[in-house]
Amino acid sequence: MRKQLQEHIARLRDAGALYVDARWYPVEETNDLVMWNGNLKNAVAARESGVGVRVLYKGAWGFSATSDTGNLTALFDKALDNARVAAERVTFPIRLAEKDAIQASFTSPNQIDPFTVPLADKLAFMQAMDARLNQPGVFQRICNLTFIRKQIVFMDSEGSEIEKTIVEVFPSIEVAGLDAQGEMHSRKYSPPRMGETRGWETLDMEVFSANAERIVREMNEVLVADNCPKDVRSVILLPGIMFLQTHETIGHALELDRILGYELAYAGGSFVRLSDFGTLRYGSEKLTVRADATTPNSPGSFGYDDDGIPAQNNLLIDKGLLVGAITGRQMVEEANARAGKIIFEGSSGANRATSFYRVPIERMTNINIDPGDDGALDDIVRNTERGIILDGDKSWSIGSNREQFHFATDIGWLVEDGQITHVVKNSTYQGETVKFYNSLSAVGDRSTWEVCYVSNCGKGQPNQVMQLGHGVPVCRFDNVRIGE
Amino acid sequence: MKDQILQTLCDLRAYALAKGVEATFLYHEEDSYLMRFANSAISLNTNEHLIRLEITAYRDRQRASYEMITALGNVDEMKRGVDIAAEMVQHAQPLSYQPTVPTYTESFSDEDAYDPALATLSNQERLAFFNQAAAGLETDEIRLSGIFSCGMNTIAQINTRAEHTQYFKTSDAQISMVLSHTALKWEVLAEQSAQQKTDLNPDALRRDLAFLVEHYQHDAPQQLPLGTYDIVFGSAALSDLLSFMGYIGYNGGLMKRGFSFLSEAQIGQRVFSPQFTLTDDPTRRETFPFRRDLMGMPRQPFPIFTEGVFKNFMWAQDDADEFGAQPTGHTTPHDSIVLQGGDAAVNTLAELVAMPRENDVLYIPYLHYMNIVNPSKGLVTGSSRFGALLLKQDGAVVVPYNVRLTQSLLDIFGDKVAWLSQAQVVANTSMSYGARNPRAIIVPAFLQVNELEISHSNPSY
Repeated sequence: MRKQLQEHIARLRDAGALYVDARWYPVEETNDLVMWNGNLKNAVAARESGVGVRVLYKGAWGFSATSDTGNLTALFDKALDNARVAAERVTFPIRLAEKDAIQASFTSPNQIDPFTVPLADKLAFMQAMDARLNQPGVFQRICNLTFIRKQIVFMDSEGSEIEKTIVEVFPSIEVAGLDAQGEMHSRKYSPPRMGETRGWETLDMEVFSANAERIVREMNEVLVADNCPKDVRSVILLPGIMFLQTHETIGHALELDRILGYELAYAGGSFVRLSDFGTLRYGSEKLTVRADATTPNSPGSFGYDDDGIPAQNNLLIDKGLLVGAITGRQMVEEANARAGKIIFEGSSGANRATSFYRVPIERMTNINIDPGDDGALDDIVRNTERGIILDGDKSWSIGSNREQFHFATDIGWLVEDGQITHVVKNSTYQGETVKFYNSLSAVGDRSTWEVCYVSNCGKGQPNQVMQLGHGVPVCRFDNVRIGE
Repeated sequence: MKDQILQTLCDLRAYALAKGVEATFLYHEEDSYLMRFANSAISLNTNEHLIRLEITAYRDRQRASYEMITALGNVDEMKRGVDIAAEMVQHAQPLSYQPTVPTYTESFSDEDAYDPALATLSNQERLAFFNQAAAGLETDEIRLSGIFSCGMNTIAQINTRAEHTQYFKTSDAQISMVLSHTALKWEVLAEQSAQQKTDLNPDALRRDLAFLVEHYQHDAPQQLPLGTYDIVFGSAALSDLLSFMGYIGYNGGLMKRGFSFLSEAQIGQRVFSPQFTLTDDPTRRETFPFRRDLMGMPRQPFPIFTEGVFKNFMWAQDDADEFGAQPTGHTTPHDSIVLQGGDAAVNTLAELVAMPRENDVLYIPYLHYMNIVNPSKGLVTGSSRFGALLLKQDGAVVVPYNVRLTQSLLDIFGDKVAWLSQAQVVANTSMSYGARNPRAIIVPAFLQVNELEISHSNPSY
């Protein structure tokens, strides 16, 4: 197969293509198990394989994919034909940033491949989780285990050949109850990444048990709580919501394809302009953010992106100042040309596709916020006059240029004069992105820092779902509207 | 091809029977083409031909599925899939209820919503369509984005209970065109849905885009003060709101799980405006309908709300099995939702702008990134996007920066509804995460709701 792919890549180069790559998935397996109120609603295993071919011809992309590898000639020809037609409407001929040809491999670290674990063992784990959630006050309980294993062979016309094997485990539990007015409230838990690996061994029943007990207790507290007041306060975001705040208003806003207008027909643009790099004070000096694709235990680490660029750890925001973006080979060339200067030295290695039948686009890696020096959560609370602690991603809605947002959370704890007073329900907060991050007044230390994962980030047309991570500490923002 | 697909399913059925496996088979084939535009260029031109097979094995109350992307000739691989599903079901924990295995009493085939002329549209035709629809509207600063997505979708089914098959084939196209200003960052949108080639109308798209561009180019933008507004929703916003209602409203299974603002006690009660009549109507070919559901149940027009009165929840088979309800023919990849038009003789945006009015009216064509804040209250939030207009009482038109609405569906479609337009349009709501599944909602072109509050107002684009 590899030899055939190389021959077809060479053939299309001879036919005039500027660049060709092929991603062959010998196998991608998923296993999705959903238990709802003790009923195994989903027990699904899936397997797919196929080839996607990307062709650059006269400054335009063509792509074609098939699960039937019996006629590679037709597949490659179709990709070239698609590119030829695309070349009829070019405004900025696509160029790719320089890179080294690489022959390499990457295997995500895991001790126990979840696909070697018998289904019976997986279901026994779920039943044990479900039993711990089956407590008074709980109306709905949901346990979810998703496993992914994919093998990807990447080859391009510049001489790269990279093989990746990536294993992911995504567990979660959730409970919901009804309050006296019949309104439903939920509380959920997805374990932060601990240790250095990503396999079956990361599922720790003791951790789940402790957190199952916690989320049931907290949900029952919400059920009898007052509504979140409509107010302006300091908000203290725990990692269980801070990861999503980071994802939506830093990560997506700094994808270079969005900044350059390549997502305007669907996902949206970005308030960030090319002139903002090196000048925009995105946040207070307490805010340092990096795109770190080397975090070992997170789904945002993948060895090499789908341009064949090695994983990197790059600063995005340095003490509040915008300095970097999430980039691939194509976009950095266009950005530099449009800006008339070198903003980006090269690709940051963030071009990824969700499957063999999708084309790579700029995706987040692990968009992490550095821990700060404002102590543990207790220290931050002690130093807060009027605030609210928020946790749990209940709802999120963001403006089309990521310029403003509205979040609802599972739970809130009001803080008065440095003390937690009581739980509130229906907690929400909203703000404008730059103003919000410039109000960042406290960043928790390493003890508050957790690597959370996102298993279903959507973007692109045709749509793509991607997995990634966010290492975030507890953060406090001042003068935020809540309760609306 | 149809015969080969059905014969393959018959072979798999025979294999499962020989192995003593109770199983259902769902075959999905898509031929998808997507031309994407950005910065006035074709940013991507792509196609995929994918065949998926889903095998679900049953053993009394146990159920497990195996899915694969495969090729039609790979029968041995498919048979291995049967073996894997049969192995999985041995270990699946029994459900607390008896899942229903479909029993088709006759074979059924529906290709009425398939137009080969649309399914086989060429690259050159897609490009020509976009060029015609954008003709004269692009400048160095006003750039074109969008998609022309089209393709063919086939679903075929069989199971071990009977030798009969079900076969559905549709063609579809979804076109979105955005014109945006590179420096000022405003953006306007026009969309079109097609089930057959003759539905395509580039001139209609150009008319809508040209009207909005004219205003966005020449009218001064304004940050709107927070407060209440009389709001006219366009078809894209309406279809999105109704999609959310399908999730947290009349879905029987989700209602039983607490994710609904409706209850069984409200059946027969007036919930919404008397002007609000919502039907699941599989006779409307523009919705890429399923005239039978995947369980083999014939589907007829199904009233959900009639003049504001809630008529019934939709029940998919598995939810009906679990909660002891009667299935209503809604075990489908999508429904065929139709919101009945009203009395207002306003069919186009130009007519809306020219319409006499007693108050200022905020026109919101599209709601971006809507999400559910509180399902029990029907509370959703989202931001205006793609060409909002503030239509002043004196006839002037102001271009507003985007605003956020956080409102209950009960308010949006309740007694505050002022009018609905007579004309209906087809809003394509397809999302191609995973397998192709073309779907559309038919809505009035416009619906006005009075006194809705905006909770945030952008100071710029």
